[in-house]
Amino acid sequence: MKRLLLLLASFIVTLHAAAATYYVTVAGLGGEPDYEQRFTANAKDLDKVFRGIAGAHVLTLTGTQSTAAQLRTALAGVAQQATANDDFVLVLIGHGSFDGTEYKFNLVGPDLTAVDIAAMCDHIASKRQLVVDTTSSSGGAIAAFERSGRIVIAATKSGTEKNATVFARYFVEALQDTSADVDKNDSLTAAEAYTYASRKTAAFYESQKRLATEHAVFNDTGRGEAVRDAGGGQGQLMASFTLLRYGAAQKAASDPAKQSLLAKKEELEQKIDVLKYNKAAMDPADYKKQLTAALLELAQVQGELDK
Amino acid sequence: MKLLLGFALVSSLAHAASPSDCWTLVHHGQNARACFTQLTQSSSAYERAEGAWGLEDWQAANENFRDAAKVASSHALVKVRWALLLHERFNNAEAADLFREAIEQDPNFAPAYLGLATVQAEDYSGNPNEAIAKALALNPKLAGAHELAAKIALDNDNRELAEKEADAALAIEGEATSAMATRAALELIADRPPDVWLAKIAAVNPHDGAAYMQMAHHLELHYRFNDAATYYRKAVEKQPELWAAHSALGIEEMRLGRAEEPQKELELAYNNGYRDPATVNSLRLLDSLAKFKTVKDASTVLILDPKESDLLAPYVQEELHTILATYSKKYAMELHGPVQVEMYPNHEDFAVRTMGMPGLGALGVTFGQVIAMDSPSGRKPGEFNWGATLWHEMSHAYIITATNQRVPRWFTEGLAVHEEGQRSPEWRDRVTSDILLAIRDKKLMPVDKLDRGFVHQEYPGQVLVSYFQAGAICDYISNTAGEAKLLEIVHAYADGQDTKQALQSVLHLSPEAFDTQFLASIDKQYGKEAQGFDVWRAKLKALVAASEAKQYDDVIANAPAVIALYPEYAGDANAYELLADAQHVKGNATEEAKALSAYMHAGGQQPELLKRLAALQEKAGDASAAIATLTRVLYIYPVRDTELHKHLGTLLMAAKQYDGAVREYAAAVTTRPLDMAGAQYDLASAYMAAGQRDKAQETVLLALEAAPDFRPAQKLLLELQQTK
Repeated sequence: MKRLLLLLASFIVTLHAAAATYYVTVAGLGGEPDYEQRFTANAKDLDKVFRGIAGAHVLTLTGTQSTAAQLRTALAGVAQQATANDDFVLVLIGHGSFDGTEYKFNLVGPDLTAVDIAAMCDHIASKRQLVVDTTSSSGGAIAAFERSGRIVIAATKSGTEKNATVFARYFVEALQDTSADVDKNDSLTAAEAYTYASRKTAAFYESQKRLATEHAVFNDTGRGEAVRDAGGGQGQLMASFTLLRYGAAQKAASDPAKQSLLAKKEELEQKIDVLKYNKAAMDPADYKKQLTAALLELAQVQGELDK
Repeated sequence: MKLLLGFALVSSLAHAASPSDCWTLVHHGQNARACFTQLTQSSSAYERAEGAWGLEDWQAANENFRDAAKVASSHALVKVRWALLLHERFNNAEAADLFREAIEQDPNFAPAYLGLATVQAEDYSGNPNEAIAKALALNPKLAGAHELAAKIALDNDNRELAEKEADAALAIEGEATSAMATRAALELIADRPPDVWLAKIAAVNPHDGAAYMQMAHHLELHYRFNDAATYYRKAVEKQPELWAAHSALGIEEMRLGRAEEPQKELELAYNNGYRDPATVNSLRLLDSLAKFKTVKDASTVLILDPKESDLLAPYVQEELHTILATYSKKYAMELHGPVQVEMYPNHEDFAVRTMGMPGLGALGVTFGQVIAMDSPSGRKPGEFNWGATLWHEMSHAYIITATNQRVPRWFTEGLAVHEEGQRSPEWRDRVTSDILLAIRDKKLMPVDKLDRGFVHQEYPGQVLVSYFQAGAICDYISNTAGEAKLLEIVHAYADGQDTKQALQSVLHLSPEAFDTQFLASIDKQYGKEAQGFDVWRAKLKALVAASEAKQYDDVIANAPAVIALYPEYAGDANAYELLADAQHVKGNATEEAKALSAYMHAGGQQPELLKRLAALQEKAGDASAAIATLTRVLYIYPVRDTELHKHLGTLLMAAKQYDGAVREYAAAVTTRPLDMAGAQYDLASAYMAAGQRDKAQETVLLALEAAPDFRPAQKLLLELQQTK
């Protein structure tokens, strides 16, 4: 089953290599100059990263732009343009609140509830959506955001984790630090960014000798509880959702002349995935031999792609 | 004998059988069950308590003592006896409170002072000799006070006083078996047969295991760990139901690194209700140790937490090999078999290993060739240098072996401190404010009495002062007479000489003459700092205030003078750091680096400051200095710091020090970094550069298995294949 899912995941990546991605980032109301500055800086950093992606549609709201009306307009605009094959990414930065039943994202003027924002996202045709809610109490928004085909990442495990978060800072850093691309395929997936930001957040509290007041979670199946780690069906979609591609990968993906090499590359990657999946059932020497051969061939194909 | 404490006063309370009668039977090793059972029928709550105690019904004894103490007219003795019960049942804190209440109730009741001294002596807290003196002033015929004074004196290796006090006890009470045990221990420590005293003990009580336990305790405190185990074993043979002895034997066997016996003895004690913290925690530790990883080679055995064994083992093993080579040459001897080093990331686990031991015991402890110490992850960054601790403890392993465990505490500790400084001047013992004050207030001990400063402190911080003084004495001997003289002193102790004889035979000085010369050198070296201590403190306070007020010009102007007053101070809010911060704000990187470098050479060990210095050195183009600085951090806090290993590896690669780069990149891999493929690729590259192609291939395949599209790793794989 896992093998099939892996193959399916790769297939989805292939299909979407040429599709567009819509990025909407909102830095909510800071309340205090320090927070205002921090939220705006995070949003602007993300804006810069997203604008560097070929074919990306980027919209960022900060400061006085961050009103409910502006956000409604922005998401309505995406809903008008995005097709089912396009990806959609929404990043919420700032403060959130949760009264036990309802989550609200703090904006300039009236706030929006998670239900409001989810309803706007539902109007967007994109089959694959990513909502990253980095605010305090964001765990309280998960249930409202959950939907099939939508990955929801929250900085806190529940609505009761109410302290200001640092998750946003590390989520932004994940998109800037190439070491976050742990499988080194020149693409950063939502799963890689999530893992990077979660681990850095935990390390932050450890280094400060402070009790962690935020524990990031995600849900990408559209049902059930959010989880901290992949497994039990959770994490498959997130692992296949490419947030950004670096340099050569981006260039190759948009070069028609290299499509056959890319196809060969993906074939080899799948072969390696299958080998790894079957590792426990294989003779170690045989596994090593086959893996080495496949990796060598992949290295040679990559060499051709890089020419 | 302690159970008989104060009974003279209660004979008037006696009925058919008095508590005193029953405990006398116990003291003679006779069956006292019927006697105690009779007491439990008494109408007096106090007597019922004594009866229940004798029958080992601790709960009933406790409740009856509580009832007895509630009676307004109750004697202070009730509280003293209740406190002794609590002391026996591992509750020294409440026992001490009750002794104090008894003193409050009757300030002239000598046994209350003796009880308090008993608890203080066992916990190495307070000054038990003061309480003993008070007890004896009130009752000069209190034999138990002399017995305790004798035990404390022997703990302090004050053998003359121990003998005198033991004899004083025996003059008052001919059956004072604890005094006899002290005399027997004195014989054992002096390598003379204790038979006369053992016979006297047997004449009083042929089953007196406690006396043998006491002998074992004294042997233990004189580094005679094997002999201590032998005497704990004799104790359980004499009195098989003495569960405290089974526990002590189990703990001693643990210290000697033995495998199965500790568990057996400790469980026996535990299952029979002897559940003091040492027993419970030792059993818990044995459970933890079963999960630890053992890394062995021909000369070393490392026992490490599995979470950090891969990271620490290479560093510790390499350092141990250096130590073994250095000490074997220096002391012209080899250890018998491998040395075992245990490192505990949980300080509480390490603390179990030192329970009941005097002295610092805070960083490491050596039992023959078994060393237990904190892991660097068990301490806050900057608090602990595992390298210095290892050199220190290993020195004990050699000296204790070389002298066949016949060495005074001050000398082996002093030599161990000296060896830390020999390994690196930055690791030598620094004068702390307590030490400066002790120097200023003339509190240093005469050399032939220095052992007394290590066990039962006469003032807070004396143990630390004693460590420093012992180290400074060895430094002094080395500086004035040569390092070889230290080895000659080792041989003198091995030949059975005491400190007076050793100083005379090796340095041709009496202890008094040596003290005169040594104290003059201390005065020359630290006298000015000691006298100027209050001025320094005031000036540092002003410097901190200037820094907080961002008056950086003032900080830059005044910090050098503060440093000059007490250059060895590199603790919190030190002038070096304040100066470096001020220079940083002023944008003067060279001066900032100079201040941080001075901090480092003064023994400063905060990893963040050292890493900051390394960054400045690297920026200034001095990569080799940066490597040296970061290498120092490895001895302080090599854990939980992927970036340290990665960066040091990169510097070493660039410097073409490929073996070092392999070591550091391998360390980075063991930290399980997020970017595991990147870490493995770095390691593969280092292997390749070091000419270890097979390992390079193996490692790059691991990187590519995790990240098949990792371009640099792909290139390395192709390169390896093409040049095959």
